[in-house]
Amino acid sequence: MEMPTLLVATLFLPLGGAIFLALAPGLSQRMSRMVALLVATVTLVMAVFLMQGFPGNLEAGEVFAEAGGSWLRIASGSDIQFRVGLDGLSLWLFGLSSLLMLTAVLVSWEAIVERAALFYSMLLLLECGCLGVFAAQDIILFYIFFEFTLIPLFFLIGIWGSEDRRYAAIKFFLFTFTGSVLTFLGLLALVGWVYHESGRLTFSIAELTTCLQEGPLPFSWQVAVFLALFAGFAIKVPLFPLHTWLPLAHVQAPTAGSVILAGVLLKIGTYGFIRFSLPMLPAASAAFMPWILGLALVGIIYGALVALVQRDIKRLIAYSSVSHLGFCMLGMFSLNRLGLSGSVLQMINHGISTGALFALVGMLYERYHTREISQLGGLTRRLPILTFFMLIFTMSSIGLPGLNGFTGEILVLLGVFQRAWMGAPAGYFKVLILIAVLSVFGVVLGAWYMLWLVQRVFFGPLKEPPRTTDEQTITDLNFREILALAPLSLMVLWIGLQPSFFLRHIDPFLAPVVSIVQQNIDNDDTEPDRIADHTSQVEVDNLRNRNAFSQGDS
Amino acid sequence: MGNNQTIQALIVLISALPLAAAVLTAVLGPRWLRRWSHVPALVAIFVSFLCSLGLIQQIRSDDAGTVSVGFEEICTLWTWASVEDAYTQESDSSTTSGETTTQETHDFTIDVTLRADALTSAMLAMVTFVSFLVVFFAAGYMRDDPGYWRFFSYVALFVFSMTMLVSVSNLLLLYVFWEAVGVCSYLLIGFWYQKSSAAAAGKKAFLVNRVGDFGFALALLLIWSTYGTLNFHDTPAGPDSDASGYAASPTLDTDHELRGILGQTRLQDDDFAGGAVGTAICLLLLIGACGKSAQFPLHVWLPDAMEGPTPVSALIHAATMVTAGVYMVVRFSPLFLAAPAALVVVAAIGGFTALLAGLIALTQNDLKRVLAYSTISQLGFMFLAVGTGSLAGITAGMFHLLTHAFFKALLFLGAGSVMHAMGNVIDMRQFGGLRRLMPITHWTFLIGCLALSGIFPLAGFWSKDAVLGAVHDKIHELEHQQQESEFSAGQPSTAAVMLVSEASRPDATHQEPSPASFLKIYKLLYWVAVAAAFLTAFYTGRAYFMTFWGPLRIPQEAGNHAHESPFVMTIPLSVLALCAAVVGVAFVGLDFERPLAEQLQTNYFAEYIAGTPSLACDMVQATTAPGGFHFSVAALSTFVALAGIGLSGFFYLRCRKDVEWWTALASSWGVYQLSFRKFFIDEVYTLLIVLPLQFVASVCYWFDNCLIDGLVNFCGRIPVWCGGVLRSLQMGFVPFYAMFMVLGMLVLIAARMLWAGG
Repeated sequence: MEMPTLLVATLFLPLGGAIFLALAPGLSQRMSRMVALLVATVTLVMAVFLMQGFPGNLEAGEVFAEAGGSWLRIASGSDIQFRVGLDGLSLWLFGLSSLLMLTAVLVSWEAIVERAALFYSMLLLLECGCLGVFAAQDIILFYIFFEFTLIPLFFLIGIWGSEDRRYAAIKFFLFTFTGSVLTFLGLLALVGWVYHESGRLTFSIAELTTCLQEGPLPFSWQVAVFLALFAGFAIKVPLFPLHTWLPLAHVQAPTAGSVILAGVLLKIGTYGFIRFSLPMLPAASAAFMPWILGLALVGIIYGALVALVQRDIKRLIAYSSVSHLGFCMLGMFSLNRLGLSGSVLQMINHGISTGALFALVGMLYERYHTREISQLGGLTRRLPILTFFMLIFTMSSIGLPGLNGFTGEILVLLGVFQRAWMGAPAGYFKVLILIAVLSVFGVVLGAWYMLWLVQRVFFGPLKEPPRTTDEQTITDLNFREILALAPLSLMVLWIGLQPSFFLRHIDPFLAPVVSIVQQNIDNDDTEPDRIADHTSQVEVDNLRNRNAFSQGDS
Repeated sequence: MGNNQTIQALIVLISALPLAAAVLTAVLGPRWLRRWSHVPALVAIFVSFLCSLGLIQQIRSDDAGTVSVGFEEICTLWTWASVEDAYTQESDSSTTSGETTTQETHDFTIDVTLRADALTSAMLAMVTFVSFLVVFFAAGYMRDDPGYWRFFSYVALFVFSMTMLVSVSNLLLLYVFWEAVGVCSYLLIGFWYQKSSAAAAGKKAFLVNRVGDFGFALALLLIWSTYGTLNFHDTPAGPDSDASGYAASPTLDTDHELRGILGQTRLQDDDFAGGAVGTAICLLLLIGACGKSAQFPLHVWLPDAMEGPTPVSALIHAATMVTAGVYMVVRFSPLFLAAPAALVVVAAIGGFTALLAGLIALTQNDLKRVLAYSTISQLGFMFLAVGTGSLAGITAGMFHLLTHAFFKALLFLGAGSVMHAMGNVIDMRQFGGLRRLMPITHWTFLIGCLALSGIFPLAGFWSKDAVLGAVHDKIHELEHQQQESEFSAGQPSTAAVMLVSEASRPDATHQEPSPASFLKIYKLLYWVAVAAAFLTAFYTGRAYFMTFWGPLRIPQEAGNHAHESPFVMTIPLSVLALCAAVVGVAFVGLDFERPLAEQLQTNYFAEYIAGTPSLACDMVQATTAPGGFHFSVAALSTFVALAGIGLSGFFYLRCRKDVEWWTALASSWGVYQLSFRKFFIDEVYTLLIVLPLQFVASVCYWFDNCLIDGLVNFCGRIPVWCGGVLRSLQMGFVPFYAMFMVLGMLVLIAARMLWAGG
C-alpha cells in the first residue's frame, strides 16, 4: 500500500471500529473486546509499517506520507484541508498512541463489564482523535482532533469511572475546554495575521510556519497569541498551577482512560508548544522562557513533594506526572537542541512508563479493590511477576540509567544547564542556574516517593485488605496482562539502551525550530561573565522597537 | 601495538560474560538451574578474571615508550545518543593572527566506549577476583535460600555493572553504571524483602546515593558546559561534523580532534579548568564520591546496608562498589590537581571520616556493623591518601584499595561463616570463644584482623604505611615550599623564575591558596590518621577477641549443630587469607644493592598504576614519586597498631568487669552514647531533612487541595453566578436594552481611540 493511503487508513480504522461497535446491536462483552483488540492490533501494525517506512533523511519542513485534500473551500486557493502527514516530531507520538491503545484494550478486558461495546467504541474513538492530532497538517484539522479527544474521554470518565466520576468528568471537560477555546482564538489570530501580511488565507501548518518566520508577528501580538495558545496547551500538559484537574481525572477514570490520558493526551499539550508556539512565536517564546522554566521547576518539585504524601497509589502516580511533565517543559524551554531533544524523548518516556504504571495500579485494583497504600504490603510474595514489572517501570520512572527515563532526563538537564550557563538572557544568569540546580534536585525527590511506594506496597511483611465475600484467591499476572506490559517494558529497554535510534528522526525536525528561536535570544549577550549593562540596554531598545512597530501597525 | 584487537576483545569479554550469566540465570534459574544457579555466574566471573589477568599482561608488555602519556586503548561499541551541533561556544583563539573569536560548534555524541589502561585493568582484576571468591562462598552460604537463582542473577548483574563502571570511557556512562551498581546494591540489600528493615535499608541506600548522584550530575553538567565533551579520550571529529549548514557557525577544520576530558592532548597541555569553576567541578564530583564510598556526611547508608546477605556485604559494601568513589577521584586526579583547594577538602573529608567511623566502631556490638564502620574508616584512609594530590598519595590510595579489598572481603566472609554457624545471630555479646569450634574461620579471621590493623608483614601494613608516608611526604613538600617562598620573598626575581618552574600550569597563578594554611591541615590530618590507625587496631582486636576468645558461648538460634562451615565456604576464606597475607609483600620490590634505609624503593603496583594516562601526565608525575619507605612512619604505625591490639586484649581477654567499668564511666560522661548511637547523625538527618521535607510536602498538598483547586472551583462558579446576575437584567424593558447598547458602543469607540492614540 502507498504510504499516504496507509496513513489515512490507520487514522480511519479506529473510527470505523468505533462506529461499528456503537451501532452493532447487542454485542456481548466478549465480542466487543475482541473487535476492539483486533482493531487496535491492526492499527498498531499499520503504524509500525508507517514508522518503518519513515525515511531517514527527511529534510526539515518536509512531511512524510502526506495525504488529503480540500475539505471546506473558503475562497479560491484557500481552503481548510483535510491534510495529514508525519514528521520527526509526530512520528514517535503517533506510534506511542497506537501502542498504548493496545495496552488500554488489554487492561480493560475483564474490568469493563457494563456497556462494554460502548466503552470500546469510545476507546477507539479516542484513539482516532489522538492519532489525528499528531498527524494533522492543517491548523483547523488539528483543532478539530484536539477537541475530538475530549469527548470520548469525558464519557469514559463520566460513565465508567469511580464514585466521584461526574464531578471529575465535568471538571476535566470544562477545564480543558476553556483553555482550548482560547487556543482556538490564538490559532485563528495566526491565520489572520498571515492573511493580513501576505494576503493569503492558508490553514496549512507548514505554510503558516514559513510565513510567520519570514514576516513575524509584532512582539506585543506574539505575547498575546502566545498566552492564548498557552492557556490551552499548559492546561493540557499540565503546567503548575493549572494541574488540579489531573489527579482528580486520573483517580476517577477507568484504568484504560488513565493510561491514555497520561500516556497520550498530556503530550498533546507539549506537542502543541513545539508545533505552534516555538516556531510560530519565537520572540514570545524566548521572552517567556525564564518564566516557563520557573513554572516547570515548581511543577517538578511541587509535584514530587505532593506525591510524597499521597495515600492513594493512583493519585501518587498522577502527581508524579505533574513532576515529569515539568521536566518535559523544562527541556523544551531550554530552547536548545539538547533540551528539546530530551523533551521530546521525555514525552515518549513518560507515556510509556506512566502509562504502564497506571496499568499496573489497575491490575492491583482488580485484585484487591483498593488503591490505599496503607492497606497493602509485602505483595512481592503474592505477586512476583507484577512486582517485577512494577520495579522495571519504577526504575524507568525515577530515571535509572540504562532505562528510558534517564535518557530524556539527562538530555533535559544538559539542555537547561547549557542554557543557564552559556545562554542565559541578560540578568537571568543566576536565576537560571538556580533553576538548573534545583531541577537536578527534583531527580532525588522523584526517587524518594517512588521507592517509598514500592517499599510500602511490595516489600516488608505481607499485608492484604480483608477479603471480600467471595474469597477468590489472588493470582499473579496472567498471560493477557503480561502481554499488555511486555511491549512497554521492551520499549523501556530499547529507548534506554539506544536512544540514538529515536533521536535521529527527532533531531532534524528540531534543528530549524531551535535556530529560529535562538535568533530571538541571540540579541542578548550570552556569555555569563560578560553580562553588562549595555546588553540589557540593547534589549530595552529592541523591545522599544518592537512596540513601536506594533503600534504603528495597528 | 599489534595487539589492539586482543585488548579490545578482552575488555569487552570481561564485562559481557557476567551480563550473559545474569541473563542466563534469570531466564533458566527458576525452572531449570535451581540448585545449580551459581554455575553460570561462577564460570563467567572466573573467565572474566582470567581475561583481566590477560589484559594486565597485554598492557604491561605494551611498550608505552611511544607515547608520552600512559597507554590507553579505546574500544567503541555503539552510539548511545547523539544530538547534532549541541555545543556552541565562542572561544578566543589568540594563537595566530591576533585575537580572533571563533565559534566552536560540535555534536553531543555519547558512544558506548570502553577503555583499557593500567587503572582500569587493576580494578578489573581486583573486582573479578574478589567476585569469584564471593560467589564461590555464596554457593554454600545461600544454599537453602528460596531466592537462590535470584541472588546469583543479581550478583552477576552487579559484576557486569561494576566492571563496566571501571572500564567505560565517558563521564555520562560512568554515571550510568554508577547508578547501575547502586540499583544492584538496592536489590541485594533488600534481597530478603520480607524484612521491613531490609526494605527500608535498601531504600535508604538508594536515596543517600541519589543525593551523592545529585552532586555527580551537577558535576557532569558543569563539565559538559566547561569542557564541551563528556568523553575521557580524544575523539577525531567525524567527517560530517559540518554537514548541517544552518546558522552561521563556522566549524573548525574537519580533522580537528575533539579533546576529551582526560584525553592525551589535554593531558599533555595541562589544560584543565582551575579557579572557581574547577574547584566547583571537583567538589561536586567529591559529593558523588562521598555518596558511593560512604564518606561523611553521606556515610549513613552503609551500616544499614548490612541488612543484605553477608556475601553481598563482602563484595559490594566492602571490596568493590564502595571503592568506586576512590576510583573516580583517582581517574579525575588531573582535574583535582588543577583545583588544590578541592584536594584539601578530599583529604580532610577522608581523614575526618576515618576518625569518626573508627570512634563509632569502638562500641558497636553487631560484628557486621563493626566491619561496616571499619570499611568507612578505611575508605577514609584512601581518600586521605588521594587527597594529598601527589603521585605517591594517589598510588598509595589505590594500593590500600587493593589490599583492603582482600582483607575486608576476608573479614566479612569470616563474619558470614560465623553467622552461618550461629543461626544468623551476629550480635557479638551472644557468642564467644569460637576458636576451637571453627578453626579455619578463626585463623583466616585472625589474619584478616592483623592485616587490617597493619601488622608487619601483612598486606595492610604496606598499604597503610604508604598512605601515612604519602601524607608525611606531603607535609615535607609543603614545608619545603613554605621555606622557599619565605626565602624568595626577599628576592622577587628568583621567585618568579621558581614559580614558573614549580608550577607548570598556566592557570596556577590566580588565587593559589597559601601552602601555609594547607600545611596545618595536612599536619593535623597526619595525626588524625595515626589516631584512626590506633582505633582500627583496637576495634579489630575487640571484635576478634569477643568472637573467638573467652568461654565458649553459642546462642540458642544456632541449636546444637554449630559447626565449622563447609569447604565451599572455607576455601575462599583461605584463598583470601593468603592474599591478605602476601599481597603487600608481593608488590614491594626489595633492592638489596642499596643501603637498608633505601632498600624498599619500588612498589611494582604503584609503578604499574602510575602508567595510567591520568597519572602519567607531567602534571602528576612532577609531584612526589611513590616508593619512599619511611622507617619512622612504619615504626609509629606498627607501634599504634600493637598498642591498639594490646589494649583490646587487655580489656577483652580477661574477665569483662573492666570493660563494664570503663563503659559505665564513659556513659556517665555521655561519650559512650555518642559513639554507640553513631553521633546521632541519623537522628539529625531525620530531624533536619526528612521531617521538614515531609512537612513541606503536606503543606503543598493542602495548598493544592484548598487554595489552587479552590481558586479553580471559584472560577468555575463565576459563569453560574454571572448567569444569575444577567438573568435579572433580562426583564423585557426596551429602553434599558437601548441604553446598554449605546453604552456598549461608547466603550468600543473609546477603546478604539485609546488604542490608536496610545
